[in-house]
Amino acid sequence: MRNPIEAHNRVKDFDWEPSYVEKTNWYPTKYKIPAKTKDPFRHLVRDYLSMEEEKDNRQYGSMEDALARGQASSKAEPRWMEIMKAVLPIINFGEYAAMKSTGQLIETIANAELRQGYLAQMLDEVRHTHQEAYLTRYFAKHASDPEGFAQGFRLRGTNLFNRAGRAAFETFFVGDPIEGALNLQVVAETAYTNPIFVALTEIAASNGDQVTPSVFLSIQSDESRHMANGYSTLAAVVSNPDNLPALQLDFDRAFWRQHAFIDPFVAAVWDYFQTNRTTCYLEKWREWIDVDWIGSYIERLAPFGLKVPSGYEAARERVPWLGHTAAMVAYGAWPLQFWRFDPLTAKDMEWFETKYPGWHGHYGNFWEEYRRRCDPRNGELALSLFPSLPPLCRVCQMPCVFPRIDISTCRIKEFAGKRHAFCSASCELFFDQEPHRYLGYTNYYELFDGYDLADFIVENGLLRADGKTLIAQPWLNQERMWTIDDIRAMRYEIRDPLRTQ
Amino acid sequence: MSTIAETPRDFNYIKPRKRRLSEYEAVSCYTQPDPAVFDRQGWYLLTAEGRAAWRPESTRLQHPHWFDFRDPSGLWQRYYVKLQAEQERAIERNVEDAAIAGTLREFDSVWLHDLIGIHYRVWSFFEYGLFRAFSRAQREALSDTLGNALCFEAVDRIRHAQSTVLYLMELEAQIEGFKDHASKDHWLGNPIYQPLRKLVELLMVTDDWAEIAFAVNLIIDPIATEVGVSRLIRYRGPAHGDPVTPMIILTTERDRRRNQAWTEELVRMTTAPELLSAESNRKVLRGWIEHWTPLATAAAKAFAPLYDRLPVRSGSIDEDLAVARGAQAKILDGLGLGHEGHR
Repeated sequence: MRNPIEAHNRVKDFDWEPSYVEKTNWYPTKYKIPAKTKDPFRHLVRDYLSMEEEKDNRQYGSMEDALARGQASSKAEPRWMEIMKAVLPIINFGEYAAMKSTGQLIETIANAELRQGYLAQMLDEVRHTHQEAYLTRYFAKHASDPEGFAQGFRLRGTNLFNRAGRAAFETFFVGDPIEGALNLQVVAETAYTNPIFVALTEIAASNGDQVTPSVFLSIQSDESRHMANGYSTLAAVVSNPDNLPALQLDFDRAFWRQHAFIDPFVAAVWDYFQTNRTTCYLEKWREWIDVDWIGSYIERLAPFGLKVPSGYEAARERVPWLGHTAAMVAYGAWPLQFWRFDPLTAKDMEWFETKYPGWHGHYGNFWEEYRRRCDPRNGELALSLFPSLPPLCRVCQMPCVFPRIDISTCRIKEFAGKRHAFCSASCELFFDQEPHRYLGYTNYYELFDGYDLADFIVENGLLRADGKTLIAQPWLNQERMWTIDDIRAMRYEIRDPLRTQ
Repeated sequence: MSTIAETPRDFNYIKPRKRRLSEYEAVSCYTQPDPAVFDRQGWYLLTAEGRAAWRPESTRLQHPHWFDFRDPSGLWQRYYVKLQAEQERAIERNVEDAAIAGTLREFDSVWLHDLIGIHYRVWSFFEYGLFRAFSRAQREALSDTLGNALCFEAVDRIRHAQSTVLYLMELEAQIEGFKDHASKDHWLGNPIYQPLRKLVELLMVTDDWAEIAFAVNLIIDPIATEVGVSRLIRYRGPAHGDPVTPMIILTTERDRRRNQAWTEELVRMTTAPELLSAESNRKVLRGWIEHWTPLATAAAKAFAPLYDRLPVRSGSIDEDLAVARGAQAKILDGLGLGHEGHR
């Protein structure tokens, strides 16, 4: 019988100082990491493989067997199933980005204990990437409406919300590897995977989707190890006081970058796509983010010099409104998406007013109008309820409409001869600190300004197999679905809201 | 509703290699964004130094669409993990059975102490270095199918390294007077291992993910690993009373065959006649052959003193090297990279 502690100590003794080559700084870091720390991960590759094999057998086995035979996916509430079309492709990129992040960490962090943790996480992230792609394909095969599942990975690149997710998750691996670990392990995984992979499965299950919980909960069983990686990495960084000034800045940025996408997105998914209603996102946010992550984790690092992120109070004030505003933009701009929407009912609206007092005053009129505009025979697009499409934040890519349109913190400024929008003071600050990091891409409106909405839909492949019906629909009514002819008749032009003439 | 009933119920944006989309293709393809096709806006963030998420110049090979690559093994995570879990279980059971049968105590003493206790154990440092090199290579690869193949190879390498450590712990437990110690000193100072260490240190600073795969899977493994592990240990184990180590090595050779196959596929893909950059890619590959072949050969030749120490003499390092070089030349010939490449 082998001694696991001794075995673990021995496999940590592989590193050496190269003498035939100069050390290369592939992924520059400003942090100094001690050579020895506590172990976040005490398994050997052998144990890890056997553990993961068992988990895979259980999860894929149940998907292939009982759930498929029982046609579980086709019986789920359509409202819920539709939003999974948007959720899976973007979470999938997060996992893929995480795999790249851990590759950078293995290369850069000269610490045997941490490397052991990162190596298992690297393969975990491939696991999650494949699980989520498998689940998407599973839904394409079994869901009652496969359109959107079948093309999600193709469509995510030009989708208003999926592209903002891309921007949030690129932070995992584009930059200082420790900055990546803060975004990935300390914020995204420790703060947000519990609401997404655990609590959201309650909504899935209450709405008849038994498949997503079996995948998400299996994913979450790996996430606890990644949280341990985050904690150990953070502990290693704070152990050297020289790291603190840079750490606080990177941590502030990491929190806001993840919050700016995840909170509005997940809140809209949570609150607007349940049919059989349970909890609201705000309740879960208070439990998982405010009490658990901030109260039991981040605040306890104060003696080591790490403070609660500077944007946290602003985030806490914004959270009650973010999901509603995001949902309003998503529903309003439904022809740009690749899933169907189900308008709120009077009963839903009552629930919103109970959970979010004051909701009706800010959003009630929109929903009354939206419902009227679901039927193409009424000849009006929900999009026309807004003066224009929203400007998109140069940093986080989210629409600049938050927390609510009437009190939006959007700001616009000129830089290098161009006008740029920012969703918040925080994103503007990040841009001011390092503008060159956010200027390497072609923005949405540079690609599509001046397009007729119908041309945008055709060019981006947003039509169903019949070549005329839209993948997206503003309602679940299958008798009268919107076609490209309906859209063309509306003569709606996509206009860059920052265009001056 | 007719529009829904007519919908294809599978991912229709992936061009399958065979007639139907495979499970491997479905879960792997386009998980990495492709700015040439679906993600035209490029990358939203740059590093402080101005680097984007992925860089076309991360390899000197050129290809218009790296996403066309398919690993011939068709492995994705579920089956990769299953395969490796099975291999590790096989090792664990074989070692356990050999311990109960008393086989471990029947190893020739010089073989046990010098060839297994030092040489084979030293090899685990080499494998660890490869794990490091492949972990970075997977980060940089220009498509998901390539990144996954590189990532699995990184995990192969750390598996080999750790498996050796666990095996020696079992030998310690079973054989009185046997101790796993000093292998790191040999790795760092023994002249026999310095060309091998130099080789892996060079790989660890090679800034080209395709070069790392090409050098390791088509040059270094077929020459240095073939001589230092397959010929020297796997082939000669039974003559020294050791049927156990060869069985462990056979699992690593299964991985080697897979890694060789996907790297050959990468070469075929980048030298396909219809490709505009085929000739320039061939030139790059020949340059890599020129660079890495002498280094791999030198690493193998340095094992000569070990051959002199073998209690049961059979064959020489020159013969083993000739066999390995011959087989390796055939691999390159099969890819149209023979002749100029090696001498």
